[in-house]
Amino acid sequence: MSDAQEATVVSDAIEPQPVAVNERVAPARLAPEERSVDPDAALGVSVFECTDLSVLYGSFRAVQPTDLTIRRNEITAFIGPSGCGKTTVLRCFNRMNDLIPSARVEGEVRYHGVDLYGPDVSPTEVRRRIGMVFQKPNPFPKSVYDNVAFGPKVNGVKKRSELDEIVEQSLRGAALWDEVKDRLKASALGLSGGQQQRLCIARAIAVQPEVILMDEPCSALDPIATARVEDLMQEIKDTYTIVIVTHNMQQAARVSDRTAFFTAEVNPSSDTRTGVLVEFDRTTKIFSNPSDARTEAYVTGRFG
Amino acid sequence: MTDTRRSFHTQLEEIRDDIVRLGAFVVEALPNATESLLTSDLELAESVIAADADLDARSLLLEEKCYAALALQSPVAVDLRAVVSAVRMVAEIERSGDLAVNICKAARRIYPHELDPRLRGLINNMSERAQQELRFAMDAYADDDATLAGAIDDMDDLLDRTHNEFIQAIFESHGAGRLDLQVAVQLALVARFYERIGDHAVNIGLRVRYKVTGMLPEHEAPNRGGRQSDAAAQAIAERRLGGAPPSEATGGS
Repeated sequence: MSDAQEATVVSDAIEPQPVAVNERVAPARLAPEERSVDPDAALGVSVFECTDLSVLYGSFRAVQPTDLTIRRNEITAFIGPSGCGKTTVLRCFNRMNDLIPSARVEGEVRYHGVDLYGPDVSPTEVRRRIGMVFQKPNPFPKSVYDNVAFGPKVNGVKKRSELDEIVEQSLRGAALWDEVKDRLKASALGLSGGQQQRLCIARAIAVQPEVILMDEPCSALDPIATARVEDLMQEIKDTYTIVIVTHNMQQAARVSDRTAFFTAEVNPSSDTRTGVLVEFDRTTKIFSNPSDARTEAYVTGRFG
Repeated sequence: MTDTRRSFHTQLEEIRDDIVRLGAFVVEALPNATESLLTSDLELAESVIAADADLDARSLLLEEKCYAALALQSPVAVDLRAVVSAVRMVAEIERSGDLAVNICKAARRIYPHELDPRLRGLINNMSERAQQELRFAMDAYADDDATLAGAIDDMDDLLDRTHNEFIQAIFESHGAGRLDLQVAVQLALVARFYERIGDHAVNIGLRVRYKVTGMLPEHEAPNRGGRQSDAAAQAIAERRLGGAPPSEATGGS
């Protein structure tokens, strides 16, 4: 149990918690004595359950052991300052950290109960089910059509009519169809930044993943393109589970159902920083009355 | 700690200072209103009435300042609670000022009637209690003192009791032929004004507690049992549950 969680639990114990209509969704925090991975399973199917999840680069611990549950059809936002481990944790969900030679994951990430890092699990299959959208739009230097059809083709879809349908459905799903339907053969690199990012989302959903991980998907976009992507997230959350890392707190507040606040603790012995999950709760709670003083300091800009 | 939103937080401090000033304004107006009533000092009454325009103008400005902060700064967490509670408190303070004005207007209406000592004592008593509640509410606000803020509700019971005693005394004086009906009615209204100021102070206290702890008074109203009439508690419970009236068992817990 991290200090953060302990502090939260202590403050819970001394403060009477009002039971209100809008408080039916209990916070996903864990009391020390009943440390179950999923304290409020009744609230929704959990997609990821992390227990003591920790990431090390060589001997350096980048993220302190973290317990976290991501629920289906919810948008979960990770916020926190640079170096707080939010992206590192996100990358654990589709084994992207495997690609960094010195990185090592400790603890457990269960995906629908299956250990994501188990010996029989194929990282490729993991990444097919758990798609990712990156900070910078990264379309392939191919046509719009081929970008979206790429994944399905790799997965063995050969029939042209079937591919056509997947491309159209995916582009519609990413709210891009109307803008590109007349230039499917044109290069994806000719699209605007916002269109490129939505194309990347279309490409991610073309392989029908269950989860979409988004690593600062809007930080390279203008406000209108950002609003489109945020709208899109709301539209597709009935179908997908979304985890988004964002530097933009207002974005987390606007789009997410739950917010996890991470912070970076400076290690006194060395000049390094280790990420710590401070608080994980409903987004309305985080932004109206967070339980932890560090969360409050961060979201209100009183941050040292 | 580095404050990355210093200018916004300075604005919030200004809003707080403004509220404290508005509160002090009413805390000072109230004894003047009472004195004008008890000493039939119409000049004093007029000055309290005239000063209220200033209170109204400042309240409006402060409210606009709060809206600007909401619109431009997107406050969250404690900052959000500070702005939202300020908006609510401005209305409570401004209304309390209006009630002090009403007391002065009553002083004008009953002029030049002399009140008997018992009624005068009770009026003084109500005035002091109302003033103290209001002052404590503002102190609690200035110091972010949620405990003091919560205590005002208990203090208000005393004011309510004095209010009832005063109404009884009016009946007795009127029955004994010491008070005409016209004056009696005016005095009953005056008593109501003090009692309402106490209620506004309680509301301010609840907003202070919300600002400090994030707990909305509405959340626990049905649980306050003795504090609140059972009917009110039940009404709130019904509204919150959005359904049929709760069974008898719901009242207590």
